Amino acid sequence: MSIVTHNEGGNGSPARKRGLFSRIFTTGHKTIGLQYLWLSLASVLVGMVLSTLLRVHSSWPDTAIPFLSGFDSVTERYAAVRLLHGSLMVFFVLTAAPQLGLGNFLLPLQIGAEEMAFPGLNRLSLWLTVASLGGMAASFFGPMPMGIDVWLVSAGAFSLAALLSALNFCVTTIELRTTGMTLSRMPVTAWAWFVNAILSLLIFSVLLAGSSAILSDRLLGSNFFSSTALSAGEPLNLVRLGGSAVLWQRLFWYFAQAQVYVAMLPCFGIVTHVIATFCRKPVWKERLVVMAMCGVGVVGFCVWGYHMFATGMNPYAPLVFAVLASSLGVPAAFLLASWLGTLWNARMEFTTSALFAVGFVSLFIAGGLSGIFLARHDLSHAAVSEDFVIGHFHLVMGVAATFAILAGLFFWFPKLFGVRLNESLGKTHFWLTFAGVYCIFMPMHWLGLLTQSNLLPQAERVALASAGGAIRSVVTVATISTVAAQLLFIANFCTSLLRWRSGEVDNPWHASTLEWALASPVPEKNFEGHKPVIYRGAYELAGKALKSFAPQHIAPELLERKSVVI
Amino acid sequence: MPSSLTTPPDIDLIIEKKGGGGGGDVPPAGRNGGGGDDGKKRPDKPNSPGRYYTGIAIAIVAVLMFFMALASAFLVRRGGGDWTPVHIPTLLWLNTIVLLMSSATLEMARGRLAQSDSVGFKRFWLATTILGVIFLLGQVVAWRVLVRQGIYLASNPASSFFYIFTGAHGLHLLGGVCALVYVARKNYEKGMVTRTVAVDVASYYWHFMDALWLFLLALMWIGK
Repeated sequence: MSIVTHNEGGNGSPARKRGLFSRIFTTGHKTIGLQYLWLSLASVLVGMVLSTLLRVHSSWPDTAIPFLSGFDSVTERYAAVRLLHGSLMVFFVLTAAPQLGLGNFLLPLQIGAEEMAFPGLNRLSLWLTVASLGGMAASFFGPMPMGIDVWLVSAGAFSLAALLSALNFCVTTIELRTTGMTLSRMPVTAWAWFVNAILSLLIFSVLLAGSSAILSDRLLGSNFFSSTALSAGEPLNLVRLGGSAVLWQRLFWYFAQAQVYVAMLPCFGIVTHVIATFCRKPVWKERLVVMAMCGVGVVGFCVWGYHMFATGMNPYAPLVFAVLASSLGVPAAFLLASWLGTLWNARMEFTTSALFAVGFVSLFIAGGLSGIFLARHDLSHAAVSEDFVIGHFHLVMGVAATFAILAGLFFWFPKLFGVRLNESLGKTHFWLTFAGVYCIFMPMHWLGLLTQSNLLPQAERVALASAGGAIRSVVTVATISTVAAQLLFIANFCTSLLRWRSGEVDNPWHASTLEWALASPVPEKNFEGHKPVIYRGAYELAGKALKSFAPQHIAPELLERKSVVI
Repeated sequence: MPSSLTTPPDIDLIIEKKGGGGGGDVPPAGRNGGGGDDGKKRPDKPNSPGRYYTGIAIAIVAVLMFFMALASAFLVRRGGGDWTPVHIPTLLWLNTIVLLMSSATLEMARGRLAQSDSVGFKRFWLATTILGVIFLLGQVVAWRVLVRQGIYLASNPASSFFYIFTGAHGLHLLGGVCALVYVARKNYEKGMVTRTVAVDVASYYWHFMDALWLFLLALMWIGK
């Protein structure tokens, strides 16, 4: 049983021989995955700064915002900042990081493949994504009507990129699994990427169709969505259009509805994986978790399909929709049960990665609770304002998904870069962020409930509204400090990269899946032509002894010979 | 054991015999009876043709979803007040016959290839490509007929949908024509794909384009 040292087969020397151009425009799945992650990192930093600006503006509207001064007084510019924040975060962070970034890097490693099925397509979709990011950023600076067109073209480019990636993920998972890697032995992460790819395939084609049609409306004067409201010259906020744009809203929002699950599915996989590994226990009811993820995909798609074809034709539409939407709670509850079941009685090793995974579970529960309020359709106009919705949505989608991404990043950092992130810095970062996001979004829920208490008498409402100002300031201060806490992460990230390969072990977390069978960082040719053989499921982690486990690729007889029962 | 695979050096490996997620040390073919892929030998060649067949199947699903989104928009939009149906030009029916003929010649080409008749294959393949180009030109002529009647993209929602259906289908079919030309001209000596695989994949896409056109035509004809 030989052990590979870090210098052997590392990606240092052969890569350096090639030119800079071919290293950047590579078809290698690992480099492409890392490029997606860098893209996400850049987007998340800009997105956070934008959200801070938005908070400052809403708390202290009179403050002149540096380098955006002059914009903040115009409603359209304010809406544009929100749009940019949303598109950066949803497309380039929540969609790109867990699926395209970590997925591209890890999926071939986890299933024992040398490369993605279509490396050329993979490179094409990466650069389409980069172009789309550039376009969305440029649309912010362009004049208003042109900006919207540029944004729509960019959304189309992103959809195309997502479609090509989804195709690649599906074919890779179906065709390139190594010997013995049956579907039931696939790690939950690989399952999540697979199910998510199928869902993305279905919904991004809808976004592509929708954005092509609306672009044709705006540029060529066609009449898909309306005959008057969306002509090219009018600087209109798309979302605020009246009844004439119902169809566009339908196409877009039903994309957006499934998009929530596209962002969350890989996160479910990552969190399940990380929790099981640090609990040193198999995933509790692993098969149920996979079924639940498939269920999220199926129901997410049905909600969309129902909207596309049935609303407007059927008077019982809201009821069916409510039933379908609520039925998403069932797979979500299964997932939650599995996480809690795995955590139950586990002697968990609380690394930073594990903390972020548990933080995800906490946020998922908190966000789910406020979701119950929102599911009441009659509540929306009675007692809840935008703040409640924003609080709910950010807690469950934005922050929870970010926690899952961070859990994955801390977990796989040794695989990506050959070095661990600093644990004590990481833990400080976790606790500050964890406390911070609750301080931001919980008061926001409260604010949402307070400011729209239409049922109360006038005098009480005025008193409540004045209380709202104080809460708003609390939220803003919490936002600024939470964003500032992310500097810890940046510092951790940079200093860890500088400590490049300083005597790390290949498998620091004693994980059992196939990517940890390779050296860290991964050699340029993953398995160097040797096809690994898989002998068992992904989570054969022993309960009692902390570091005992059975890697997927070690033959049973070898394992017997090596094993020492404590 | 391949040299690049490592076992954790400093720790003891333990097989958990009790509990533990099911199936401690099951041989590779034992566990997943339902999966159905255990018995199937996965070819060890890095570029096995399976990925191309799966790839085209999945791509077809994605393209279908794109057109289904437009079709559902068509159905919903039809209910609006400003809907003026487009009379489908007669030429479109001729084009449809041309497209169906191209599918037939494509199958003949594949039949010739199966009989290792390379000359016959090339002849029918060329015929398919030409019929595809004729269809595309016919669609452009049909547009011109409509324009002469004063029906433009911007005239009303029904005409918008007519142009986007024919236009998007035409673009996808143009991709198909490019694929036909690529398959015909590709050098299979040094490539990793055999001609049979390339021909199969291209023809699946072509037949799908054919069926999609029939669906769109029926939608526009019945749904007007």
